[in-house]
Amino acid sequence: MADFGFESSDRKEEFFSEAQEIVDALGKLLLDVEVTVAESRVDPDVINEMFRAVHTLKGIAGLFGATRMSGMSHELENILDDVRMGRLDLTAAVLDLLFRAVDLYTHILLFERGDAPDPEHQIAALLSSFARVTQPDEAPTSNIFTQFDLDPGLFGVLTEYEEHRLKSNIESGLALFRLRVRFSLMVLDSALEDLKKKAKPLGEIITYLPAPSTDESDFENLELDILMASKCPTSLIETTLSIEGLVVNPVLRRVGGAPPPKHGPPKSNTPLPKIGGAPSMPPPTIAGPPRLPRDLIPDSVATPAPSRKSSRPGSRHSLTPAGGAGQAAQFVGKSAAQTTVRVDIRKLDRLMTILGELAIVRSAVGRLAERFRGSVEHRELGGDLHRLHRTFERHLGQMQNGILEVRMVQLGPVFDKLQRGLRAISREYSRPVNLVITGQETEIDKLIVEELSDPLMHMVRNAFDHGIEDLEDRIKVGKPEVGTVALNAFQKGNHVVIEVEDDGRGMDPKLIIASAIRKGVITESESGEMSARDAYRLVFVPGFSTKAVVTDLSGRGVGLDVVKTNISRLGGIVDITSDVGIGTKMTITLPVTLAIINVLIVELAGRSFAIPLASVEEAFVYEPARTRNVEGREVLSLRGQSLPICNLLKLLHLNTFDDEGRKYYVVTVAVGIRRLGLLVDRLEGQQDIVIKPLGRSLKAVRGFSGAAELGDQRVALVIDVAAIVEEVLAGDQGRYLAIAGDGRG
Amino acid sequence: MADMVRAHARDLRRATDTGKRVEYLAFTLGSQIYAVPIQHIAEILKPPPVTEIPRAPRNVVGIISVRGKLVTVIDLRRRFGLIEAPFDRSTRILLSDTGDDEPIGLLVDEVIQVYRLSEQEIEPAAALGGDQPAYILGIGRQDDVLLVLLELKSLIES
Repeated sequence: MADFGFESSDRKEEFFSEAQEIVDALGKLLLDVEVTVAESRVDPDVINEMFRAVHTLKGIAGLFGATRMSGMSHELENILDDVRMGRLDLTAAVLDLLFRAVDLYTHILLFERGDAPDPEHQIAALLSSFARVTQPDEAPTSNIFTQFDLDPGLFGVLTEYEEHRLKSNIESGLALFRLRVRFSLMVLDSALEDLKKKAKPLGEIITYLPAPSTDESDFENLELDILMASKCPTSLIETTLSIEGLVVNPVLRRVGGAPPPKHGPPKSNTPLPKIGGAPSMPPPTIAGPPRLPRDLIPDSVATPAPSRKSSRPGSRHSLTPAGGAGQAAQFVGKSAAQTTVRVDIRKLDRLMTILGELAIVRSAVGRLAERFRGSVEHRELGGDLHRLHRTFERHLGQMQNGILEVRMVQLGPVFDKLQRGLRAISREYSRPVNLVITGQETEIDKLIVEELSDPLMHMVRNAFDHGIEDLEDRIKVGKPEVGTVALNAFQKGNHVVIEVEDDGRGMDPKLIIASAIRKGVITESESGEMSARDAYRLVFVPGFSTKAVVTDLSGRGVGLDVVKTNISRLGGIVDITSDVGIGTKMTITLPVTLAIINVLIVELAGRSFAIPLASVEEAFVYEPARTRNVEGREVLSLRGQSLPICNLLKLLHLNTFDDEGRKYYVVTVAVGIRRLGLLVDRLEGQQDIVIKPLGRSLKAVRGFSGAAELGDQRVALVIDVAAIVEEVLAGDQGRYLAIAGDGRG
Repeated sequence: MADMVRAHARDLRRATDTGKRVEYLAFTLGSQIYAVPIQHIAEILKPPPVTEIPRAPRNVVGIISVRGKLVTVIDLRRRFGLIEAPFDRSTRILLSDTGDDEPIGLLVDEVIQVYRLSEQEIEPAAALGGDQPAYILGIGRQDDVLLVLLELKSLIES
């Protein structure tokens, strides 16, 4: 690993994020390829794109001295080159290894960051597996080309890749055409790009060569000789491409079908088919016409990366800018690179902090305006200030939304990762499964996304392991042989909902309850009152697992409770619905962003505290007469349910001088399945706050997730509801389930 | 005038015959004067409202917001086992800056002045005899004033 200086840490960070982006893109391409392989129509463009991605990784890894990465990329490049050239078939085994390579890339990146052990052995293992599957096809190049009335000189200038594409197109029965177009040098790039785009539905452009111009004095235009494979008739190609001055000529198959001599071009042939009316085209010379400026051919339309094996003398490779930089530009250029910037999320946090400050200034201005409006001599001034303040407020709101928008990223990459993970376990257990994904374009806070992939992976594995039945069982009940896991995401108000759904055996509330009683999670008498809904919630209790056989995947008794804890740390909730024999659906509901949260401000012994509104169910006046004492805990009966009460004053060891005559309120908070009533002195109202973490010196302090400024220099602690509930109710899990009537968990 | 000349001569003598000097910010806690290297102090603040943290370590007074950043404030009186004193007009919070660590606020009774001490004017902590805690750098002496020199990093960490 290179020695990154302190000042280069930004660049290093950029390297990591760029590399990760490319790795993610590579994973996505691989998933695309897998689909096309299954339908036996591999899109050569996708293979090329993968090749370029790996090539770029190699380039940037070299630049940053990430030798593990550049080493593996180098080998992968060779393998993908073999695939590109048709020397290696994309078998399931090869695909498996490529998927493993993508995961290994992620591992390597972690290693380079210092977050994972050196993956040296995994790389070696992967590469040796590749070596086993890549026995190059030694079949001699068949002389399929000679069936066509093609200029043999042409083969001298085709790259190996182009030759391979030509061959595979002929093999799949497509006809060949030669096209002649004339483009202005000024617009050559865009015209070529346009041509390629239009030609794509018709077939494939194998190669294009600059042709010697018919008009020697014309320096403005460039004539191109294009070789194209298509199954469409000449007329359709002409009309579809609709380019002025386009000449399309089919390349004729030789009559008689007798294969010409294997070596050496047949002498009797005219070099090229005659173009009606047009002067005959001299064969493209090896040296190539001198008038094509290098920089006029954009990377994206030039031949794909120079391959290590195609070093034929005089091939047109000199036309493509060589080297990693060009390739990198080519890959990045695929997406609208010019209009996007990569931003460190901490910079956005800083902006958010400043915005928080501005919000405080705003409220001070607002108070000032009110004061002026209330005074006789300054009323007019107060009115003006008030209007200004309103405008300020509106713009500030827009700015806040703007910054929040920037923090949003799509769920797509997370879903892709899940897809790869599910694919891996599905192959490992030889149990096929479909993954159906919708809503991958749903956007959510970048910080939430990062914490989301582990819990989601666990849920998907859980659906696979506990949900989807064995093949025989599925056939027995008449279900489709291949099970389906669906991942759906959508936005709902200020929340993002993610569902993990399977068409498996479903969950039987009776079995869950029985198991819970056996494990002592609940008592027999408690089970009597439980609805199916309550029963499903039991699976989130630590140590609870219903499947008899413990597998590698899940069912180790750790899992869903961790999922639930992680999700609630993000301010989200998990819910389950299930039908026995039909399937199970787990639903995660998350806030769109973590940066700004809506809180209820409460007063306790003269101090202000903030409780995230997402965890608050309701607040009401405390009536001691309605409480009773159960096993040393104060419990309130609320609509037929027991609500344990927590006296925050005592829990937090707060001193207060007047304990008499205070009016208490109960704020009911819920975390997953558990509910708790917090006793507070006063409700101050709700507010949007920017939550900031407590310093490292306070990390041992439990019960607070951070603090926020309320304006007028006051700082309020934000209560970590999950931690408080955990602390108070530890030991009597499952006893006070949050069974809210409105269906919230 | 004579005073100024004498002072200047004294400064010159110090600068020439003792070489390197370090600046220390002196403050009081009770009757004792303490001092910390000034390069480790970012700012001297008049105490804003302090939000106390329930169940925090005993030395922690609470948190304050300094231009949007939360800063933990520790009471040096509590740290040194002295009796707590109520805030008054001279109470200050010293904002630490020890490089990598997060800034910490140090609550002190009163800030006095900056002392420039040469190596000769500093006695090692061992001179005090017995086992001295790591956060005591030594004892500074200048013009009959005795300063307990503190090392911030270990003071904050311990």
